[in-house]
Amino acid sequence: MTMPAVGTELAPVVVAVTQEKIDRYAAAGGDGNPLHTDPEFAAQTQFGGTIAHGMLLLAYLSRMLTAAFGQAWLSNGRLKVRFRAPARPGDTVSAVGHVVRAESGRTVCAVECRNQAGETLVSGEAACPSGEVPA
Amino acid sequence: MPPRLDTLAKGHELPPSAFELSPEWVRQYVAAVEDEAIGLLGPDLVPPMAVAALAVRALLERAALPPGAVHIGQEMTFRRAACVGERLSASARVVSRGERQGWVLMGIDLSVEGEGGPIMEGRATVTMPAAAEAPS
Repeated sequence: MTMPAVGTELAPVVVAVTQEKIDRYAAAGGDGNPLHTDPEFAAQTQFGGTIAHGMLLLAYLSRMLTAAFGQAWLSNGRLKVRFRAPARPGDTVSAVGHVVRAESGRTVCAVECRNQAGETLVSGEAACPSGEVPA
Repeated sequence: MPPRLDTLAKGHELPPSAFELSPEWVRQYVAAVEDEAIGLLGPDLVPPMAVAALAVRALLERAALPPGAVHIGQEMTFRRAACVGERLSASARVVSRGERQGWVLMGIDLSVEGEGGPIMEGRATVTMPAAAEAPS
């Protein structure tokens, strides 16, 4: 697998978020915070309804980075993000990224999750060791 | 009952939690996040974010999130790939705690070790409404 060059757009991951998917993640991730799983509770919060776990959105980014960088992402990847807005059931979330620079032996990408309205939900940078890596 | 996260002082270390990356759990996680990419790399590899999810789970087992808590940032560095069947130990430590305008802002370092050494290090940034009581 060859490292993508500066300017390369990573193949996006597009996911339709549903309450069922949020519930499945809550069960797998062990995060049963009612903000994610209880519509009645969540309706009383600042969010006005359930929202997806931030870590679920990061899993979509990780899926994109795994496809782009293979083992380099699993073995030596770095990610730094801010959660900017929540994803809600019914949203279509796109995990996108592009290579912005190479520095200190790493390929650095700007990464984002956006909803169907183009609103940024998560933004930050990911980095993987540069160079040829086994797929 | 675990202590509330916002009552923990800077430097507080939460006891480690043990996990096993059982084939059933990994399948459940991969299905939940719809990660088709990991299976193309090898049958025994675990998505790195699954390890991060366990680190967050360890934190939630050892400290209760108060109502209104919001996860606002996350950093992570992976040291190696984790494998199906591996036993992990996840730990967490409060590295910063500040209070401003009625909100607490906390940084919590997370680390996960496996049988072959460190797998992941990271930092979660969480904010929550300040409680009336002082931190312990």
